[in-house]
Amino acid sequence: MTEAIKIETGQGYWAPLIFVVALLGVLILAVLIWSRGRREYKRGTEQELPFLSGEKVENPRVGALHLYWGLAEALRPLLERLRGWHSGNINEYAGWFLVILAVVVLLVLA
Amino acid sequence: MIGNLPFVVCVILVALGLWTLVAKRNLIKLVIGIGLIESGVNLFLVSLGYVHGGIPPIYTYAPSGAPMVLPTPQALTLTSIVIGVATTALMLAFAVVIYRHKGTLDARKIRDLRG
Amino acid sequence: MSAHAPILAIAVPLLGGFATPLLAKLHKRIRDLWVLLIVLFVGVAVGYVAVHVFTQGIWVYVLGARHPQETVVSGGFPIRIMLVVDAMGAFMGVITALMALVAFPAALKYLPEEEGKTLALTLGSLLLAGIMGMAYTGDLFNFFVFLEVTSIAACALIGFRTWTSRAPEAAFKTMLLFSVSGLLFLLAVAFLYGEYGALNLAYVSVLLRGSAVDRLALALFLGALLMKAAAAPVHFWAPDAYGEAPAVKALLLVVNTQVSLYGLWRVLFTLYGGILDTTVGWLVVAMGLLTMVVAAFMALAQTDLGRLVAYGAVSQIGYMLLGVGVGLVTMSGRPDYGLVAMKGGIFHMLNDALTVGLLFLCVAAVELVKGTRDLRELGGLGHGLPEVALFFLVASLALAGIPPLNGFASKILIYEGSFRASPILAAVAVLTSILLLAVFARAFQGAFLGPRVNVEVRVPWPILVSMGVLAVGILILGLVPGFFVEAMVTPAAKALWLGRSLYLSAVLGG
Repeated sequence: MTEAIKIETGQGYWAPLIFVVALLGVLILAVLIWSRGRREYKRGTEQELPFLSGEKVENPRVGALHLYWGLAEALRPLLERLRGWHSGNINEYAGWFLVILAVVVLLVLA
Repeated sequence: MIGNLPFVVCVILVALGLWTLVAKRNLIKLVIGIGLIESGVNLFLVSLGYVHGGIPPIYTYAPSGAPMVLPTPQALTLTSIVIGVATTALMLAFAVVIYRHKGTLDARKIRDLRG
Repeated sequence: MSAHAPILAIAVPLLGGFATPLLAKLHKRIRDLWVLLIVLFVGVAVGYVAVHVFTQGIWVYVLGARHPQETVVSGGFPIRIMLVVDAMGAFMGVITALMALVAFPAALKYLPEEEGKTLALTLGSLLLAGIMGMAYTGDLFNFFVFLEVTSIAACALIGFRTWTSRAPEAAFKTMLLFSVSGLLFLLAVAFLYGEYGALNLAYVSVLLRGSAVDRLALALFLGALLMKAAAAPVHFWAPDAYGEAPAVKALLLVVNTQVSLYGLWRVLFTLYGGILDTTVGWLVVAMGLLTMVVAAFMALAQTDLGRLVAYGAVSQIGYMLLGVGVGLVTMSGRPDYGLVAMKGGIFHMLNDALTVGLLFLCVAAVELVKGTRDLRELGGLGHGLPEVALFFLVASLALAGIPPLNGFASKILIYEGSFRASPILAAVAVLTSILLLAVFARAFQGAFLGPRVNVEVRVPWPILVSMGVLAVGILILGLVPGFFVEAMVTPAAKALWLGRSLYLSAVLGG
């Protein structure tokens, strides 16, 4: 039975059911703390509106590209280069295949 | 020396085909490049099975003791040719459809899918 | 019947696929029932083979002979075509059958009749036959033939929507690259045939001496199969193909990629297992790292939900390459951690099929409902499609390797195994997983959260059932991974890592 619930990883083991029990414990604790919180939240008032730098925005919507915007912005030079690499030109794709083939031939024959 | 000539031709064909894939921009020419590689590989297979002075490998008609060429590579080549026809036809069909949509066969201009 | 299960698992979808258009002439319902029967039959046959192989060892099935012994004539020369199913092949078959059982019922409701549903089902059935053939065959030339069958069927499916301009473009590029890789694979087979006069994988493996021709053939095998398995930097076709194929059929494309990986393992471990040095292993590891990192960054840059999921799928291939690559590197010393990494890499194939399959089904549902996949236009679908949102969330977390889902169970094996080989490998793998979490959190937010939008179209129930099956599979594999690892993954990993001599003696006797 013990084999069925855990997997050996060489240096230890991973037992998801124990993890789930621990996770439930933490969740219960979180709910307890949350239930002792302040009860001023009112539905249907302007408390429901998202806080966007204190400004009122018509029809606020946080799209996919707004999330992790900073990360994507910081990585922009890298991402642009990678996008340029995926150029869509079939000649380049075939060229990369030849490059890999050459590398493999050199590695294997050496 | 003359016995190795087919293999030299194979290398030239495969190399030409690979060069075509990298250097040519017309989609039809790219398909022709695939055809060149395929011819090279098929020629290689058939030359592998050749036995000098061999006769066709048909047991019923063969004089006893005569050397025969190997039948297996011929079977492989036939299969490979059939597969080649299918792939070439499919690629040409896609080239036709692409031309209808874009009005061009230039690989540099067919780059909607990138990034 | 049951004695012929391996060949029937290939022959029934092949012949049944060609019969599908004929039956469609009779009635559409008969065709649907027929396709379901084919898939069910494959499922039963594969299950039977798997149980047999996992309990009794390698199954050698010979075409045209009653017993395997009749194959090997005097001098140990095998003369007939044979199927050889060891634990790894059986495992691959199980993955294939599972995905087919999920994909086909969903496809019956997803594909519109006027868009050539009959032909799409035929192609799907042929693709299934090709994949099963690649998984079960013990013959190099047959492997090439099935490789080309999958190439043709897969590319026809990718370019299926000829009325759009993007699908034929993706199909042409994919087909060109698949053709080159297939032909170079055939060239490698021809090299080996020229040197040893045989096509039987086990027989050639015994004879291999490691001459220059053998090594050149190895290089061609590697190049061809790495391309078909979408390892960076020859992965360019994969996001195009996954993104543009009808999303339900993308499940089969994912399995096609995995079976190419399986072919790579078969060539490296079984065919060349006797002469391989660690250089090739490090090459596989390096390409695995490159694949996961590049694909994860590219996923961050996507605005199309289908293409984002496609890049996520490609990055998972990097994990499999890393896991099994570490096994390759350590094959000479055979330390424990090598086997752990192997198990992780192989377990990840199953987990990846489930999670990526579920993600593609979610993409299909979103596309069906909204008619677009652009993340800049989508939003708020979680109100109208709570089930789909939940499924997408589960699959995203599993793909990013969040415990206690199945992705984590296989990734922790890969992390720990590769950490012992080199800590840098594990660090890159963990960081990529974190990046993937960010990417999929973005996608989830963009598609499903936000103000309510109206949803007029309902998702057909077969698609929801398929999604539910995959989600339950993700949960079960995540919560009790030990059972599956012990029953299927460990035998599969051992079959590759330690089982070469068993494989050879099962085929050639002695």
